Amino acid sequence: MCQKAFGSFGAALVCVDARRFQWTRGTPAIFRSSPIVSRGFCARCGTPMFMREDGDDNYEIAIGTLDDPSAVPKMTEQTGVESKLPWFDNMLTLPMQRTEAYRSSEELARLKSLQHPDHDTEHWP
Amino acid sequence: MTENVPATGGCQCGAVRYAITTPFENPHICHCRMCQKAFGNYFAALVGTRKTGLVWTRGTPGIFRSSCIVSRGFCRDCGTPLSIADDDSERIAVSIGSLDHPETVMPAKQYGTEARLPAFERLHTLPGIRTEDDVPAELMAKYRSLQHPDRD
Repeated sequence: MCQKAFGSFGAALVCVDARRFQWTRGTPAIFRSSPIVSRGFCARCGTPMFMREDGDDNYEIAIGTLDDPSAVPKMTEQTGVESKLPWFDNMLTLPMQRTEAYRSSEELARLKSLQHPDHDTEHWP
Repeated sequence: MTENVPATGGCQCGAVRYAITTPFENPHICHCRMCQKAFGNYFAALVGTRKTGLVWTRGTPGIFRSSCIVSRGFCRDCGTPLSIADDDSERIAVSIGSLDHPETVMPAKQYGTEARLPAFERLHTLPGIRTEDDVPAELMAKYRSLQHPDRD
């Protein structure tokens, strides 16, 4: 279910105490992926943002949505491994390319990000 | 990879479904910061095909313009990231996890590695737990899937 919801190998999630968490702009849309699980996402761009079980003290926040995903403490486990995709274990060995290696300088100029920056903003866009 | 077509896929809730009738091209993962944010994840897993070979068979995706030349498609009802395409390209990529059979596509390259996160290097080494060992049997019914099945 995390594969389909995130359109990916699975989800990368970190638990945060719901009492110390607040939505500071807008609120997410919700899809109920099972009878006791809510998944929150942005209705305007689709970004998957969190999972939460009914009554749970925690939100499970999608790590990629954090302004600094590298600040998350080291991951500790993989769950749902019965559905692990066959290529997951070999990802690290795939040939690598930096963005500037496959985008021309002209393309890079036109590729200007319209994504919200990785910090709070007074007004947006 | 022509053996993989036709292929079908869609979002978690089933409001948007697609079929791919042209061969898969360039299966890859992308670490760029825009893919991280769009997928809420460490990276995106994508596979390309010709725009003419992708048919939306139920509903149509919402579109977010993540840069001046790129459109990203997603489901408005459940958020699943579905597609990404350059305006002037004849190709479009779909998210591998949205395919009904994601196990049939093997990424062959990593892009956007300037933004690759340190945690990525350890992901495959983390101890693994199967769902049935993680969730008590009496609770499994409550976790049953309400997502669209992996077929039309």
